Amino acid sequence: MNAIEIKSLTKNFGAKQALKGLNMTVPEGAIYGFIGENGSGKSTTEKIICGLIHPSGGSVKLFGKDYTNVDIRAKIGVLIEAPGCFQNYSVWNNMMLQAANLGIKNPEQEVVKALKTVRMEGAASNKYKNCSLGMKQRVGIAMALLGNPALLVLDEPINGLDADGMRIMRDVLLDVTKNHGCTVVVSSHILGELEKIATHYGIVRGGKMIREMTAAELDADCRTYAALQTKEMSKAKALLSCKYSRVDEENEYIRVFDAEKPEDIVTHLYENGILVSEIKTAKIGLEEYYIDLMNGKERG
Amino acid sequence: MIDAREIKFENPSFFKRLKGMLGVDFYRLFHTPMFYIFLVIAAVIPAMILSMTGMPGEDGTSNPMYTNTWQIVAANTPLYVISDIADYANMNMVFIFGGIMVSIFIGHDYKSGYVKQLFTTHAKKQDYMLSKSVVGAFSMACMCVTYLMIGGVLAGILSGTSFEVNVGSLICAVLGKMIMSFGWASLYTFLNIIFRRYFGVSIISSFFFGTGILIIGAAAIFGNNSILNIFLYGSSVYACLSSSFLTIIVCSLCSVAWTVIYNIFGTLILSKCDVY
Repeated sequence: MNAIEIKSLTKNFGAKQALKGLNMTVPEGAIYGFIGENGSGKSTTEKIICGLIHPSGGSVKLFGKDYTNVDIRAKIGVLIEAPGCFQNYSVWNNMMLQAANLGIKNPEQEVVKALKTVRMEGAASNKYKNCSLGMKQRVGIAMALLGNPALLVLDEPINGLDADGMRIMRDVLLDVTKNHGCTVVVSSHILGELEKIATHYGIVRGGKMIREMTAAELDADCRTYAALQTKEMSKAKALLSCKYSRVDEENEYIRVFDAEKPEDIVTHLYENGILVSEIKTAKIGLEEYYIDLMNGKERG
Repeated sequence: MIDAREIKFENPSFFKRLKGMLGVDFYRLFHTPMFYIFLVIAAVIPAMILSMTGMPGEDGTSNPMYTNTWQIVAANTPLYVISDIADYANMNMVFIFGGIMVSIFIGHDYKSGYVKQLFTTHAKKQDYMLSKSVVGAFSMACMCVTYLMIGGVLAGILSGTSFEVNVGSLICAVLGKMIMSFGWASLYTFLNIIFRRYFGVSIISSFFFGTGILIIGAAAIFGNNSILNIFLYGSSVYACLSSSFLTIIVCSLCSVAWTVIYNIFGTLILSKCDVY
């Protein structure tokens, strides 16, 4: 069963059409990386999934049922933008209030567990307003984890997190999916982080889903390139640009994308009096794949 | 695919949902400083009114407006049409404080993003309306009790006015007003749902409706007529020092009717509009 199945979703804000027939399928147990530019419709889609805004058209099904179904809603954990916490209450009290709303049986035990998961147990007595941005994000995630959710919807959850916070986030998301069968939809602009955990991707642009794929499909789709170094970088780049259609320079390496064999590049440069000091092959990452896709470049 | 455990979806009952929401709202009420500030105001204001209206005029003679302490709670008879603004000065003022209280409450829900957290879960829109109405009514009922037990008694002692009253009628009047709190709280919740994105407008609208502004126009047409009991302010005025058990019945009917109406419309608005 799919955790989320969205068909032809539209949403209008007055004259502005934020979603233009978006389709989205998230399999149960997946970590779904939801990617797109600012204003592409990610947050709008997530808010509809969370029941915060009404769609203008289309259908949204969660675990095979309509998204408004009360049974389903009780099993959704959310972090949209910032956590919905009262500034003057402590982290603990905010968590307990959410636990009460969810009707959790052992609220204290569950809150302690959730705070431990995000390593915030030591800051439980802090007033929420005195927490740093990263701590607030962690509280938001802990809050979303209350009640053993079947679906987690996280909008930019790693914003403001330090390196340790990001690692914790990765561990948490991997744990809830692997050990608790939770499905996660996570949107982020930090694609390098997303790439480390996502099992599925959805790329949205202009209110439409332009590509959905699994991590394996992304890997197969990502083009291979040869990266080389020489003492005459500019001359080598100019030479290679004449022969190959896409050549660029990054991190002190010349990257050649459409060479069938790296040896051909070395030979070609050698024939023109340039010696290659280092050459290796690599694949572009999610970030570059995404940028290429947005720029409309052909994939290898 | 990853091994997924079997996920059980439970349908939380109405009472379970409401219990959770009420628990949160009551916790918040008791941790809202404004609630205690309004209780203090409710305790102090009757003494201020009673002592100020009894002060000697420019000619040196004293012509006190209140000859009995409990007139600070309610008029002797229902006074829908007032000739003096001071006639407003009785327990009905707590409904204005209550309006501001509800505005602050709902305003914080939106400002903090709590509603976002709430409506993502199994909470239903009608639960939200009902919970806010109950908590708002409770806060106003507390103010009524404080106004009577502390404010009224203190005012009487300080001004030396008579405490003589038909106890049964006084109890009926105060109970009537406390019952009306529920209708008022529903009205304020409804207003705050309409103006949920505009905190200032919410407070101003609550204040104006709390003053019984609607009844002023109607009273000009109908005069001092009991037909005005169909309004929240009318029934609140009807709960006076000549009240009987009938007053409680009228107040209950009016309060319940408006509570149902405002809750239905408030729920409709919340259901049709985007939450956040």
